[in-house]
Amino acid sequence: MALPNQQTVDYPSFKLVIVGDGGTGKTTFVKRHLTGEFEKKYEPTIGVEVHPLDFFTNCGKIRFYCWDTAGQEKFGGLRDGYYIHGQCAIIMFDVTARLTYKNVPTWHRDLCRVCENIPIVLCGNKVDVKNRQVKAKQVTFHRKKNLQYYEISAKSNYNFEKPFLYLARKLAGDANLHFVESPALAPPEVHIDLAAQQQHEAELAAAASQPLPDDDDDAFE
Amino acid sequence: MASKEPDHQHREGEDTPAAEDEDTGAQVAPIVKLEEVAVSTGEENEEPILDLKSKLYRFDKDGNQWKERGAGTVKLLKHKETGKVRLVMRQSKTLKICANHLVLPSMTVQEHAGNDKSCLWHASDFADGELKDELFCIRFASVENCKTFMEMFQEVAESQKPKEENKDASAAAGLLEKLSVEEKKAEDKAEEEKPAAVKEENEAKKDEEKAGAEKKDGESDSST
Repeated sequence: MALPNQQTVDYPSFKLVIVGDGGTGKTTFVKRHLTGEFEKKYEPTIGVEVHPLDFFTNCGKIRFYCWDTAGQEKFGGLRDGYYIHGQCAIIMFDVTARLTYKNVPTWHRDLCRVCENIPIVLCGNKVDVKNRQVKAKQVTFHRKKNLQYYEISAKSNYNFEKPFLYLARKLAGDANLHFVESPALAPPEVHIDLAAQQQHEAELAAAASQPLPDDDDDAFE
Repeated sequence: MASKEPDHQHREGEDTPAAEDEDTGAQVAPIVKLEEVAVSTGEENEEPILDLKSKLYRFDKDGNQWKERGAGTVKLLKHKETGKVRLVMRQSKTLKICANHLVLPSMTVQEHAGNDKSCLWHASDFADGELKDELFCIRFASVENCKTFMEMFQEVAESQKPKEENKDASAAAGLLEKLSVEEKKAEDKAEEEKPAAVKEENEAKKDEEKAGAEKKDGESDSST
């Protein structure tokens, strides 16, 4: 479901509602998928931010309109407008903060009051952190309420594609749906004049001394 | 199956449920019917001349900082007919494109000052289907892979130069020489590394000799 001011597309699109306590990593997770970056800084989301997120599958291109909601609004509850016409959902908690898991039933109840019978994925985020407060064995809510559960890490990208893959399969009713390489179009010819080239060289020289954000981790898939 | 990252495995191994992909979700009715479609990578007429696991960053000029762009496989693809070479990088798992640009003679790649497994360059990138000026930095798992990438990249850039050098081109070459001081530095460094490697070998030999000598000593000890 697109917002009125949002471009519509000629391929299947779905409204995905992402809820969960503040600081569990909803925005970071969405941003990771949008630009590749991992945002360390915490800036609470106000209200809701809607981001279109495209995936290429063996059944063509699909789009999730990700409704990234403010977790901090839990006390007042989210307005129904955020949930309405939601076609799928992610409930996020933080495995390093027990309270965020304890609040999952509240998020689930609020969601289900508006959205009946939609596929829902429960995500335990931050599994890269050594000192977890919620172990995988302690996560049982999804079994009681028939949700899919994934342990994820927006930091290490562990399972980061799984929630979207699961939802896409459920929405299409196709268990074999999978992501495929999107077509890498031929880049157009560009002419770089010397002035531009000099500027690029200067920029490179300056950037070469800026540290990389995650120098410490050596995990390559 | 590479469904688990090594990182996670060693930290979370015991806690990971046995059947991780077990579907515990409710039965819901699908809301769209999708047909299988023919897929194209867009790379069908190209030959990969390099293919390495890596992590890509783009420079955020406003924030004056490097930001992650994706982790996956970087390729240099040579077109079978035109001989043009482009760099294509895809994010692993989602297979989305993180970078897609031609390697041009005007390009130079240089080492990252603080990380010898990384190097950087400028490109007009077409990853999102529109040309965008980007400063890219790429990080490899090893110094060797980074060196391989840099050498190949520079070689390709050189090879893309037009055969006939006219006046303008030689003037440009003169200017390029001035500009590529950084790059020469990198080359010098690479050369410095070679004797280091030889040195290591020599030391290893010495160690062997020592071990041999110790063994002899041991033998002579036992014989006495």
